[in-house]
Amino acid sequence: MPWHFWTVILTDMDRHAIRIFAALICLGLASPALAHSGDAMGGFLGGLAHPVLGPDHIAAMVAVGLWGAFLGAPAIYLLPVVFPLVMAAGGVLGILGVPLPGIEIGIASSAVILGLMVALALRPALWIAAVLVGLFAVFHGYAHGTELPAGADALAYSAGFVIATGMLHLCGIAFGLLARWPQGRLAVRAAGGAIAIAGLLFLGRLAV
Amino acid sequence: MRRALVATAFAFIAGPALAHPPPLGIPGFLGGLLHPAFVPAHLMAIAAFGILCGQHRVAWGIADLAAFAAGLAAGLGAIAVAYAPQWAGLALLVLALTSGVLAALAKPLPPFLGLALAAMTGMAVGLDSPPDTIKVDEANRMLAGTALGAVILFAVTRELSARLVQALARPWTRVGVRVLGSWIAASAALVLAMQLSR
Repeated sequence: MPWHFWTVILTDMDRHAIRIFAALICLGLASPALAHSGDAMGGFLGGLAHPVLGPDHIAAMVAVGLWGAFLGAPAIYLLPVVFPLVMAAGGVLGILGVPLPGIEIGIASSAVILGLMVALALRPALWIAAVLVGLFAVFHGYAHGTELPAGADALAYSAGFVIATGMLHLCGIAFGLLARWPQGRLAVRAAGGAIAIAGLLFLGRLAV
Repeated sequence: MRRALVATAFAFIAGPALAHPPPLGIPGFLGGLLHPAFVPAHLMAIAAFGILCGQHRVAWGIADLAAFAAGLAAGLGAIAVAYAPQWAGLALLVLALTSGVLAALAKPLPPFLGLALAAMTGMAVGLDSPPDTIKVDEANRMLAGTALGAVILFAVTRELSARLVQALARPWTRVGVRVLGSWIAASAALVLAMQLSR
């Protein structure tokens, strides 16, 4: 539209009308306040990215999958079903503001201990493994719960990060299945060792 | 001139007052049809219950489908007479959590529990689906679309779950279905806690 057109219109209007017109333009630029956010996909992608952006979470989740595969059935089947539920319980504690000390230490320790379990090829009784993994799930869930955004797309966000966590487990399980072969077993134990070392680095970073 | 300009500006900025935007910006029947699949709480509640029904299809038959449709019709009927309770969204989360946990546990459940859950899930979906328009004709089209969309979504999820659990009958398919239930339950629990803590 020619600039001259707008010059003529603005000259023709008095200052009061210009103010009203400017206010209307501002209203036009404002986005509507909706009861539900339409950005469910954005929330989902944000949640999906959340666990992947924390190296301590990645290390621990992959270690959980590795150990599950290493332990074999029924741990390999129970783990991906039970872990999200226990993690959600921890998340609920975080959201409700129930004090839980040593969250970051717990998360870093989970990488160390789970990594060592895999590296040393330890096979405790199923209930001991379940309690150990469950305890760490509470720490991870608590951290996630406190970081949950208070937006209308929170459901999409939480679905995203629960799925991402599950996918990290599956990565660990898939890699852990290599343990069926002697060389693969070595590779899995080496991966466990690497995770334990990473966990020590996370702990060291917390101490600084 | 000035009045015309201001009136034009008003017409330009005026937008619909929406409870939530129609899925993909599509109004009318198609918007209603897509509604259950694009509102996360609806999708999760229906998917979790569909998974649960798929696990129990042999024991429950098609009674759950009928109960879901009846509950949905009742909920949408209530919306049609302008009853739209605020708690419907919260009820959907509770139902998604319940169905998700039950699907994750994968234990046999009595048929009456399935029917009750079906009716409650259908009703909650209906009550939480107020049409985003004040035009009666279009609102009715949206409600009809929502009814069809929710029943299709439920039937498809139920069938997929049943096939994974029974037809394929491999350990990983049964576990996969339980994992999905567990994911939905975990997501619903977190958001439920967040809403209750406000």
